[in-house]
Formats: sequence, C-alpha cells, structure tokens
Amino acid sequence: MATKKKNSKHHSNGNRPRNNSRPTTARGETDALVRPVERSSISSLNQHLRTYSIPDLRQEHPNLTVRQVSEKHKDAPDHVRYEVSGNLDAPVPPIRDSQYLRKQQAIEIYRFMLLNRKMEVALENLYKQGKVVGGVYFGLGQEACSCASAYALDKDDWFAPMIRNQGSLLVRGFAARDTMMQYMAKADSPTRGRDGTSHFGDIEKRNMVSPISMLGDLIPVLSGVALGARLQGRHVAVMTYIGDGGQSTGVTYEGINFAAVQNLGLVLFIESNLWAYSTPSEMQYRCKDLAERAIGYGIPGVIVDGTDACQVYDAARQAVERAHRGEGPTLIEAKMMRMKGHAIHDAAAYVPKPMFDFWKKRDPIARFENYLVKDKKWLTPKENAELISEVERIIEEEREIAVNSPMPTPESAEGGVYCEEGCHEIKPKYGIPKVKKGTGVGYKQTEAAVHLK
Amino acid sequence: MLLTYLEAIRQGIWEEMDRDPSVFCLGEDIGIYGGAFKVTDGFIDRFGPERVIDTPIAESAIVGAAFGASLTGMRPVAEFQFMDFIGCAFNQITNMVAKTHYLWGAPAPLVLRGPSGGYVHGGPFHSQNPEMWFVHNPGLKVICPATPYDAKGLIKAAIRDNNPCIFFEHKYLYRRIKGEVPAEDYVVPIGKANIVREGRDLSIITYAAMVHTALEAAEVLKNEIDLEILDLRTVSPLDREAIAATVKKTNKVIILHEHSRTGGLAGEIAAIINEEAFDDLDGPIVRIAGLDSAIPFSPPQEEHYLPKIEDVVRESRRLKAY
Repeated sequence: MATKKKNSKHHSNGNRPRNNSRPTTARGETDALVRPVERSSISSLNQHLRTYSIPDLRQEHPNLTVRQVSEKHKDAPDHVRYEVSGNLDAPVPPIRDSQYLRKQQAIEIYRFMLLNRKMEVALENLYKQGKVVGGVYFGLGQEACSCASAYALDKDDWFAPMIRNQGSLLVRGFAARDTMMQYMAKADSPTRGRDGTSHFGDIEKRNMVSPISMLGDLIPVLSGVALGARLQGRHVAVMTYIGDGGQSTGVTYEGINFAAVQNLGLVLFIESNLWAYSTPSEMQYRCKDLAERAIGYGIPGVIVDGTDACQVYDAARQAVERAHRGEGPTLIEAKMMRMKGHAIHDAAAYVPKPMFDFWKKRDPIARFENYLVKDKKWLTPKENAELISEVERIIEEEREIAVNSPMPTPESAEGGVYCEEGCHEIKPKYGIPKVKKGTGVGYKQTEAAVHLK
Repeated sequence: MLLTYLEAIRQGIWEEMDRDPSVFCLGEDIGIYGGAFKVTDGFIDRFGPERVIDTPIAESAIVGAAFGASLTGMRPVAEFQFMDFIGCAFNQITNMVAKTHYLWGAPAPLVLRGPSGGYVHGGPFHSQNPEMWFVHNPGLKVICPATPYDAKGLIKAAIRDNNPCIFFEHKYLYRRIKGEVPAEDYVVPIGKANIVREGRDLSIITYAAMVHTALEAAEVLKNEIDLEILDLRTVSPLDREAIAATVKKTNKVIILHEHSRTGGLAGEIAAIINEEAFDDLDGPIVRIAGLDSAIPFSPPQEEHYLPKIEDVVRESRRLKAY
C-alpha cells in the first residue's frame, strides 16, 4: 500500500520514554544510583536522602525506547504502530568472563543452549508437519538465560520454569522428548497428555514445580517450597522466572514480599524480553529497570545481560549461594529480547524491525560460541562442529521417540483428580522437622475480642 | 468433654500439630494475637513462631506458600481471617492447587480454613458462604461441619488427607453451640453425610449452621411432621448414596442452604436426586436458600436474606400436604 506519511505524533498514554529520566550515577555506568524521589529542591535539602544501588553486570546499556505513533495518511486510514528510537548501531559488547565457570562448565552450558535451540527448531518443524496440538512457544534469544540460570542450581534445589524456559528443563535432566511429547499431547508425555508445553513437574527427583498459564503464581509457591525445606532444616534455593509482562500481576508482589519477609531463598529471574505478547515493556511499568523493584522489597537486585551466559550464571550462582546460606531472596533482571512472536501463530509484525536487527546481533548462542571458540579457545572449530552435530543427532533421536509415542486413550482423561489411598506416600523430603515445644499448655479460656460474635 | 465448636476445631489442630511435626499453621494475625476469632490462641507459645507463622496480608501468597510447602511433604494449615477473602486467592486455589494432582501427579496435602457464614451482621464481606466457588473445582475437598464432634473429627481428617481441603467453619456456631467430644483421638471421614435426626415424612438435606435451623424446625413440627435431617458435612465430594437413601425413605425432600439460590448446592443435589431416586419422589424438590443478592448488612435485611426456622416450617407443611 503506497501511503505517504503526513505526520506522526507520540501518544501520551503512559508510554513515555524512561531512558531520559534515568538518574545520574555516582559511580559510573555499572551502578545505577536510584533515588526515591527525583532530584529536586526538596530532595537536595533533605538531610535524610537515602540512596540505593543496583549492581549491573552488563557491558552495554542499550537505550532503545519503544513508543506508539499515530500516522495520518492522506489517502488511507490512520495507522497506529510502534516505533523504536535510540542507538540501534551500538557495537556488540564482549562476553564478560565468569568468576566461576571453568572450561568444561562453560562448554556444558553452551551444549544445553544448543540443545534448547535445536529442540525448538524441531518443534517448529513438527508444528509445520501438523504433529503439534495447539501452538509452540519459543525461547529464541533467551537460551542463555534459561540454561545458565538453571545450571547454577545444585541437585537439591528447586525450580519452576515459565513457558520460554524449555532450556532450563534440559539442564535439570529432562529429555527433549519430554517437552516434545507434551507439545504433541502424547500418552508418554510427563502429564500423559493432560497438559502441554513446559507444564509438568517432578517433586521426587528433579524438584520441579509445574507452571500454570497464569503469571506470577509460581513465585509464592516456590517461596513455600523454601519454607517447607527450612522447616525440615534445609536452606534450599528455589528458582523461578517471570517476564516483564508477568511481573505486572499482583501475585508477583505478594510472592516476592512473602519471600522477603520470611527470608526465603527465592532466586527470581525477571526476564525482561521487551514484549509481553504484543505489548512493549514501556507500557508495563514506569521505573527504569525492574531490578529497582528489589529496593522496595528490601532485597538485593541485580541486572544482567540476558544474552550473556556468563553474566546470567554468575548472578544466579551468587543468588543460589545466598539462598544456601539462609540469607534470603534475590531478584535478577535479565535483559534481552523475545526473538519470535508470543507463540508460533504470531509473526510479531508489531515489533519494529530494527529491534530484531539490533538483538539478532546479540544472539546468545552466536556470542557464546564466538567466546568459546575465538576468545577463550576452549573449543576448536572442529570440536565445535562435532558438538553441534552431536546435539543435532540427539534431537533427531528424541524427536523420533516422541513422534512414535501413541496418543492417549480417550478414557485416560478420567481418574487421578484426587490422591487416593495408596497413591502417594507423603513424608517430609529433607527429614522430619525438628520440633521445639514451648511450655505453653494450651489456650486461654478467653472470649474472642472480635466484633462478630 | 463438652466443647464449643471453636474449641473443638482448636483442639483438633492442636492435637495434629502435637502428633505430626510436618503440620504447621500460617495466616494473618494467628500468632501472638491468636487469630481474629482466637482459633489458634496459645499455639505460638506451644509450637513456636516457626510453626505458627504470621503472614503479610496476601492471600495468594498464603495459599501459594502453603502449596509449595506441601510439595516438600509438609502439611500446612492456612487460615483465612474470613472466608470471604478466599476470593483474593481464587486463582492460586483453582488453577494451581486444585489441578495439581490430575495434571502432573503431585499431591497437595494442605488445609485452607476459616470462618464463613451469616447471622452475625458482618455485612457483605464478612458473612458469605463461598463454598460453591470451590465445589465446581474438581480436585478440592470442601468441608462444612455443623457440630463440635464433626468439626474436630473433620479438621483432623482434613489435615491427614493427601488432598487440598477447604474447611469452612461457621462463625455463628463458633461459641453458640457446645457438644460432647471424646478425649481420645478420632477422625470423621470426609465425604460421608450423617443423619442427625431420623424421620419418616420428609427429608431436609442441609449442612453447617442450617442443620441447627432444621433441627429447631423439626422441634416445632414434632407433633405434626416427622422430619429426617441429613447433615452433608462435606459438600465436595457429595455423599450421593446418603442423599439417595434419605429420599428413598421419605419420598419428599427440602434442600436448605445459606448461600444464594441460583447456582447453589441445592441445584446439584436436585440433579443427583433426579439421577438416583427420581421414581421415589412424591413431590417437587423444594429449595430454601439465601436471596440472589449480596448479603446485606442491616439486621432486618440480613434476616430477610437468610433462611429462617419459619421458612423450613412453612415449606415442610406445604410439601407434606402436596
């Protein structure tokens, strides 16, 4: 459609740019100094002005802003679209060396990231072949965040993925076939056809809580897992994820606040992937960085580049170790971009193309590959090629097994609503809680001091 | 021993905490204050703040945390200050907790408990009977006791059950009724109704505070109509056999509940009777229920909204004459 742009204006419906109002930092770019009130004559007079800092591990600070613009056309209907502004030509920064990761660990994370991506490519093909029931959700561009975060957990720790964390499942020991069978609604899928996607769990071996589609509900649940373990004498780390869209829910606040008040070892990744379905982050929240929310909860917050596996791992590991020491929750904001639509049906035409170009250059796998092969020389090109073909072979085998699993029988829809006699033996996972009994002997025979008697 | 309804619940939770170290309580103001209705009075002194946890005012977090702890093999007992506030945790209960065992096979042995019900002029947000919100959610057990004996036996059964149980305590009954409760350990099975009064002429199927309303109506009618009263005790899962049995015996039935008529439990029970005992009916199934509105605050209005003894007497006479 040949239309001529006549004028455009910025909408004022709350999606004002955040970058320009960023407070200046005292210690330079890596530490954002956040003030509770903007610099003003009142605050400069205030002797009790408090300052907080949010560590920022990133080696670049993209300043892209999305806003809605209205285009008036002379010979066509008005059109509202998203427009991106900022330095779209910024160079790609190097990967930050990890404080912890040795060669073998780094390669293993890289391998999981490859598995993650190639599994999703296989899923896309299965969808095109008509073998998937419903849609497919992708973590394209987010593989470093999913894989390096879960890699930081110890065996006894717990986690719960969100829809794009299919890589986390691989790291925690699930096979690619599990997720593939979920998507194809097969009889052998972990939920035996009853749910799809990453919606499954395992409280016996892999300590994974199944997600639900409603966003934020996992946060108090994982906090409760940490509470249960603590009553049994163990400080476990409990990791889960929420998007920049999902964090808008009220239960997100309730869950983090509960973990903060109870000092539970929650490791919460806020995956700031810029788009919540079709809504840009500018229309989800007003603060500059979601990690700043940590200040309000009274817990540590940190910002990482979600496309840099080393940064993700380091922040996750530090948070996990804090949790193991019983020091409470940590909020980690990982910045990246969702590089596909919300699900496979969504072409993401609303995303300004220059944003895809910008983040494509920051592809987490390409960056990590370059780091391992060229910067660190931990992988020779030959070893890298072998690794990639091994991963492709595994995914092909897994795909074959998944495809050949039968569909569930109709009758298998029935049963299992309740835990019946002999179905589960329930006992504390980490040992019988040590019970301290006070000398309290019982309740007082008091009348209730309530107005409703 | 003779205990009030509230004391029976308190004793039930206390004994379970004494017996099983995996049981703990969480909720708003349940610790030093002992709960808004003092159900957990003295618990923190005995069991310590680790097992009697005062939480922020955040019902989704309370339910979520209880559920998470249950996944590690704990048996949390979460208190709602008033069951009206359970709506704040609705998603967590219906989408997370209720579906867990069916979808991915994880048991969730937790109890959500708190006061519900009217007749205390609590107004629209402190008098509701929200049990039907959960009866429509497979995977939950919904319990509504009417007597001290049942309240203690059922709270203990709920704590020991491997499924999420929602335990509605009727706040009108808390301190108004007393009943004999054995000193030794016992449970009342979940899902089993109980005939609290045998009769020949017609059956009243009801539960919670309405059991006492029905009993008083039976007393009024004793020389006139011989009422049988079935106390459901558990509203999900329903005791279909007991419902069918009483209808087959008396052939006439009134279903009595406090909550609003439309979409209420009486509709479901009527359908069960239709399926199980249609040929045994000698009259229409009668519903006595709350009005299809919010529960109003002012005493004359609340009284008008809620079922009364006179309603049961009047409807019983009408049905008997049918």
